[in-house]
Amino acid sequence: MISRRRLLSASAATVLLAACGSNTGRGNGQALRQWYHAYGEPGVQQAVERYAKSYDKVPVEVQWNPGDYESKLATSLLSGTGPDVFESTLQISAVRSNQIVALDDVISSARDDFTATILAGHTVDGKVYGVPQAVDMQMLFYRKSMFAAAGLQPPSTVDELVEAARKLTSGGVKGLFAGNDGGAAVLGGPALWSAGLDYVTPEHQVGFDDPLAAQAIGKLRDLYSSGALLLGAVKDWAEPDAFTQGLVAMQWTGLWTVPAVQKALGDDFGVLPWPRLNDAGRPSVPVGAFGAMVNAKSSRIDEAKEFVRWLWVERADYQEDFNLSYGFHIPPRASLAAKAAKLQSGQAADAVKFVRDNAKSSNPPDWTSAMRTSYTDAVSRVIRDGAPADAELRTAVSKVRDELKRIYG
Amino acid sequence: MKALRYLALWVSAGLFLVPFYLIVRNGLALESEITATSWTLFPASFHWENFTELFSDPAVPMVRSMVNSLVVAVLQTVGQLLFCSLAGYGLARIPYRYSNVVFYAVVATLMIPAAVTFVPTFVVVSTLGWVSDLRGLVIPGLFSGFTAFLFRQYFLNFPHELEEAARIDGLGHWGTFWRIVVPNSRGFFAALGVISFVTSWNQFLWPLVIAQDQDAWTVQVALSTFLTAQSLNVHELFLAAAVSITPLVIVFVALQRFLVRGVTETGIKG
Amino acid sequence: MRHSRAFWLFVGPFTAGLAIFVYLPIGWSVLLSFFDARNTVTPSTFVGFANYADMLTDASFLRSLGTFSLFALFVVPLTFVLALALALLVNGIRSMQAFFRSVFFMPFACSYVVASLVWKLSIFNGVRFGLANTVLGWFGAEPIAWTVSTSPPWYWLVLVTLRLWLQLGFYMILFIAGLQRIPRVLYEAASIDGASSGWQTLRFITLPQLRTTSVAVLLLLLVAAYQAFDEFYNVLGAGPFGRPPLLYLYNIALGSGGQDFGHGSAGAVILTLLIAGVTLAHGKVFAR
Repeated sequence: MISRRRLLSASAATVLLAACGSNTGRGNGQALRQWYHAYGEPGVQQAVERYAKSYDKVPVEVQWNPGDYESKLATSLLSGTGPDVFESTLQISAVRSNQIVALDDVISSARDDFTATILAGHTVDGKVYGVPQAVDMQMLFYRKSMFAAAGLQPPSTVDELVEAARKLTSGGVKGLFAGNDGGAAVLGGPALWSAGLDYVTPEHQVGFDDPLAAQAIGKLRDLYSSGALLLGAVKDWAEPDAFTQGLVAMQWTGLWTVPAVQKALGDDFGVLPWPRLNDAGRPSVPVGAFGAMVNAKSSRIDEAKEFVRWLWVERADYQEDFNLSYGFHIPPRASLAAKAAKLQSGQAADAVKFVRDNAKSSNPPDWTSAMRTSYTDAVSRVIRDGAPADAELRTAVSKVRDELKRIYG
Repeated sequence: MKALRYLALWVSAGLFLVPFYLIVRNGLALESEITATSWTLFPASFHWENFTELFSDPAVPMVRSMVNSLVVAVLQTVGQLLFCSLAGYGLARIPYRYSNVVFYAVVATLMIPAAVTFVPTFVVVSTLGWVSDLRGLVIPGLFSGFTAFLFRQYFLNFPHELEEAARIDGLGHWGTFWRIVVPNSRGFFAALGVISFVTSWNQFLWPLVIAQDQDAWTVQVALSTFLTAQSLNVHELFLAAAVSITPLVIVFVALQRFLVRGVTETGIKG
Repeated sequence: MRHSRAFWLFVGPFTAGLAIFVYLPIGWSVLLSFFDARNTVTPSTFVGFANYADMLTDASFLRSLGTFSLFALFVVPLTFVLALALALLVNGIRSMQAFFRSVFFMPFACSYVVASLVWKLSIFNGVRFGLANTVLGWFGAEPIAWTVSTSPPWYWLVLVTLRLWLQLGFYMILFIAGLQRIPRVLYEAASIDGASSGWQTLRFITLPQLRTTSVAVLLLLLVAAYQAFDEFYNVLGAGPFGRPPLLYLYNIALGSGGQDFGHGSAGAVILTLLIAGVTLAHGKVFAR
């Protein structure tokens, strides 16, 4: 009924507007279409175009997408005009609605070489849907000289961190910068992990239905209300500027800033995972990776899969180039990470160690956007508005429980 | 009293111009001057070489995207004026039993938020094969309820005497519209033309999704490359913003006389 | 018969376009609101009014509807009064009228993205050297984190000034147009009757004569307030403070990874009904 009406209207539209010009179609129809979001580092676009060009089985047309990549990708996939191959994080809803195809046969031989936490982020119901391309991670950067001048040790618990942030706040310098929203967006996960909790348990239950969660979030509120946080900076947490300009003693930011920080501060900085809150918790770093995926509505699924296998499983040289020649990423494959010279020393080596020992998936496939919104809203209200943490979290818990029930029954 | 009036005007005008100054100032400053140190009204010197940097940045096809925006905005303005003026005239002047029904259907579209009907619209347009195609950029935006509504209100107030004269000369509705009504409404067409040009030039989400190939980017899409870049380049962003609004400011200053007269003639009646 | 053919000759092409590119998508959205439509726009699971029930019990959505009703209550009269004041000021001078008109209208050329950039990065950035904080510093006040602080909620100052800067000129022009249509004889008659003061002519002649313009301006302002989106998205991001209903719905329907068109469309229908209701109520109050 619905589909017939839509069909009728659509064909009427076609007839009506056919006079406006001939349909030129989309490209030559021969090439596989591959999408990337716009990477900020110069040279990445040229690199991925070079990889695509050197594939000799079928031509591949690379499309570079600035702006709101997620909305654009979603809209295109839904309308059936999407690319054959694209990069994305994995969401369980994409699997359940058959938007993407499983890639277990693509990754088969190399499966054990991929870092387990990363691959888990691209796995739903035991099947792999994305081949991880490059690992990004976040961690805590601190100024060694400022800590030394204040006679402080790098914090190993959350309480030490709060204390250090307070003590290091003086004059024009703030203790910590964790985003212009006071850390609501980026520290919600680390806060849970610091108390031994998580977003969702492996048994598909709510992972933070625990009084400890309120305590962990409460520490973020303490940070905010102590005045030790930098707020409203020109550039947000993902840029190193506040840290390199000496506006703060610590900043929560990403691995990608290491080259810029090194350039500005030389060796006067160290990196840490987010510390533990108590003995139940562990230090953590959030990690995530875009994975290469194949559109289930593509008319050439086999060719697309073969291309993904060639580029992201077989061509280790390209994967190494992609991860290390432009920005600063960790190759998701252990064999590549181990031999990368850039990652052997200093802060980068620390980061590699954190990813091995402390990694937590920043965006697991079954942590849906509805869940994330309700949890982040709760954390925001606690941090910035001083709302009672237990009541706010209770609302989020019930929302997440509903969502999980819907997904897993 | 008169002095007070001018004082109030000058103060308000000053406040209104500050953001424009900031756009230009930031566009011609060094990155470090924008993000750090103390705030200065005037940067140490204006860095005109920022223009070279902007126009030679391979990631941002500034010239190409300005041309695209111009083509899209001109076509959309002309098309919107054509379809909406015809509809407005028909609704205002041609007695027809269901004319009110059609009118309410047009007004109702003003209240419906486009953000959520966005995806179905895209599916319709992609069914027509118009993705990454000039038609997809231009045609769906031609049917503006707002513009048709304003045209109707205007034509309601159009002097009957002029049309009567045409009728006596044996012209039908069609002839009257083209030979009498349109030539006597240039100001209003100019006014609504400017408004649709600006709206078209500044739209973002639709061109982002529909203009997928880099060759089809409009200037707003090009601007967004700065916002999504891994390291935000603030001075280049502001300079690009300054460049992107320049054509509009020129259009405004050149046409503002028509614009005000045109709006004055609208006879908007709630 | 002759009329109907002429009518459709004029109105037909526009109506056809409206049907295809506006009404077809709207109808489609309304249909989606009755389905479980996750990651699909051709769903098969009919759920009746369940999506509506969910949205009407969704605390975040209700909170944002409430917030924006307050926002409308505040920003609509403010914009109205200031635009009228500017129009009266500009209309009452003899020299430089064109100059001032241009200056006040020029911000209309800026997109919300550009304006948001200036407001967020240059004027109201939270560190001690933003423009607003520099001015505060002259008076010895501490810097304020404008877009972050929730008590007091300074972000409203940021967003309201931004909106005023962008919109005032357009509504000012509408008012100037209205003012210029007021017959001069009315003022002359009033001065003969002894109504000499500015307030009296404003109250007894200007305002009543501007009635039709005022009703139109109020209607446009109301719709615009409830449909606010761009500057909130660009200045505040996705957090729960000052989040417009439309932004919340956009996140549901097109947000990262979780496309849920059933709930998004149901929310859009609720929002549209609310706007229509407020508009009708406003019409009842003012159009008498």
